[in-house]
Amino acid sequence: MFKWEKMGRVFKPTEVKDRSWLKEFAQAPAVLVFDDFVRVYFSCRPSADENGQYVSYSAYVDLNRENLLEIKKISETPILKLGELGTFDEFGTYPVSVIKYENEFRVYYAGWTRCESVPFNVAIGYGISKDEGKTFDKIGAGPVLSYSIDEPFILSGPKIRRFNNKWYLFYIAGKKWVLDNEKPEPVYAIRMATSDDGINWIKHNKDLIPARVENNEAQASPDVFFYNGKYHMFFCYRHSTNYRGKENGYRIGYASSPDLINWERDDSKVGIDVSAEGWDSEMISYPHVFELDGEVYMFYLGNQVGKYGFGLAKLEKYQP
Amino acid sequence: MKWQKKGLIFDPAKHNLPDDSIGFAQSPQTLVFDDFVRVYFSTRKKDAATGKYLSFIAFADFDKNFTKVISISSKTVIELGGLGCFDEHGIFPINILRHDGKIFAYTCGWSRRQSVSVETSTGLAFSDDEGLTFKKAGMGPVLTSSLYESMLVGDSFVQFYEGVFHMWYIFGKKWIDAKDNEPPARVYKIAHATSTDGISWKKEEGKQIITDSLNADECQALPTVTKIGNRYHMYFCFREATDFRNNPKRGYRLGYAWSDDLMNWNRDDENTGISFSEKGWDSEMMCYPHIFQCDDKVYMLYNGNGFGKQGFGIAELQTS
Repeated sequence: MFKWEKMGRVFKPTEVKDRSWLKEFAQAPAVLVFDDFVRVYFSCRPSADENGQYVSYSAYVDLNRENLLEIKKISETPILKLGELGTFDEFGTYPVSVIKYENEFRVYYAGWTRCESVPFNVAIGYGISKDEGKTFDKIGAGPVLSYSIDEPFILSGPKIRRFNNKWYLFYIAGKKWVLDNEKPEPVYAIRMATSDDGINWIKHNKDLIPARVENNEAQASPDVFFYNGKYHMFFCYRHSTNYRGKENGYRIGYASSPDLINWERDDSKVGIDVSAEGWDSEMISYPHVFELDGEVYMFYLGNQVGKYGFGLAKLEKYQP
Repeated sequence: MKWQKKGLIFDPAKHNLPDDSIGFAQSPQTLVFDDFVRVYFSTRKKDAATGKYLSFIAFADFDKNFTKVISISSKTVIELGGLGCFDEHGIFPINILRHDGKIFAYTCGWSRRQSVSVETSTGLAFSDDEGLTFKKAGMGPVLTSSLYESMLVGDSFVQFYEGVFHMWYIFGKKWIDAKDNEPPARVYKIAHATSTDGISWKKEEGKQIITDSLNADECQALPTVTKIGNRYHMYFCFREATDFRNNPKRGYRLGYAWSDDLMNWNRDDENTGISFSEKGWDSEMMCYPHIFQCDDKVYMLYNGNGFGKQGFGIAELQTS
């Protein structure tokens, strides 16, 4: 059983000036801890084009390590370029997951392309940084993890982890597109792959977390950390249709595992919910949990999936 | 190599094709039986939703002299993919392999994009009714884009040699930006992958195995390989990247390469042994070759002018 104390919204993208590529949204926060600051990567968007279509970039803010509510710096440029004509990441790089391992900064990100019968498709790309995580160069023009017989589309939301001398990639894979008033909406579930080198991946090819609210529940942001002798996963889930409001919108779920393979879902232990009013009163989503200086924190998104930024909560109590 | 042309053997205008076909018989590929040869090909119908073409698979059964069409498929051979799937908007071509009592099909699935016309991947299906119908291994592809093969994987052709499944296929190098009334134009090259089960494939990741003869933007398509004695022979078609539809000097023609080890290929177009006719159905274009052996003879099926709008013909290899 977790119990989280909300500390408020940390970053409001709509207040940022002088960055045409950062007008709205600060989605899918994920941290990299430096000696005297905490870098929070997130994904953002310029204003929509004349057809109402967005591209998405990823960027970061550096927070004071002693006071995570204080922003010290906002990145000058996006951390990744969009892909060339016809490539998998031509229209977006969202979300990102960054890890530092043996002095190398690696990014795994979801690349977006635009389709005709459905609005988009997504596959997972990979890059490395030569400037301490400020920008990243792609290793190749194609994806590092893409579609397969049992994962036909929408490989997104990568979270890179290293446990027991092995790379783990938690991500989501699309299961089907359902029509909501003739508009295609994707249904996806949480998956995992493992690797020795971070480039060649073996897919586990199973859904890790059973659906709860409906068969077509969509799950995202599988955020795994090791704490108190076992693995914990915070993630978010929503209904398949009419999910842009409070009733069917995103909530944060919870599961635990002794071995990273077998997961027991128990949302009653999550210890965080929507607020009665304010920026996170309709939905909460895209949790990222991390330990810092003896405390455990969670970044998460509020209403409209991060359109107005991300907030912070602090673990008040954990009872195994 | 020296081929004797035997002429057009299938004109789609002269037959009743299933599923509202409006013509075309492209990329013929065979499944050989004791007393007849089944030739699969891609034909087209109009997509009611968009008015665009959808390619789908049909077949014609020929007597072994290829002078008579015994029958034509009357029902759906393989379904197109569902909403958002890689093969939602077409299957073209299909390659059939009979191996160890099973009938494998490797498909090239098409789905439409916004910034470019299309993306492709290779699918896998099996038949348990002697090739009348095929059931897909799953909703997703068996081979798709990856780090160094960033787009347009397709045209797979599979043979089982010396205990290993070998796949020759194409991958996209880039899309050239639209200009001078030409839409974005793709550039693709021939590659090779291997497998022990025909399902899990190991690519050589971005390695072009057939050298260019025109220029770096040469488009190479539809590799087909056969073994005669100790030598492997590959045919394929190639063209310029732009202005190839109506300009015979820049359109598809057949290329040839040989190998003694399945690793190193020697391009040798001088010895193709087959070229345009002076007039008639294959006087301006030759494309989509398929080589097969039948009763100790070696045959090549291929399309002519207009990418197979008028059907396909056959040639027989002359023994020297």
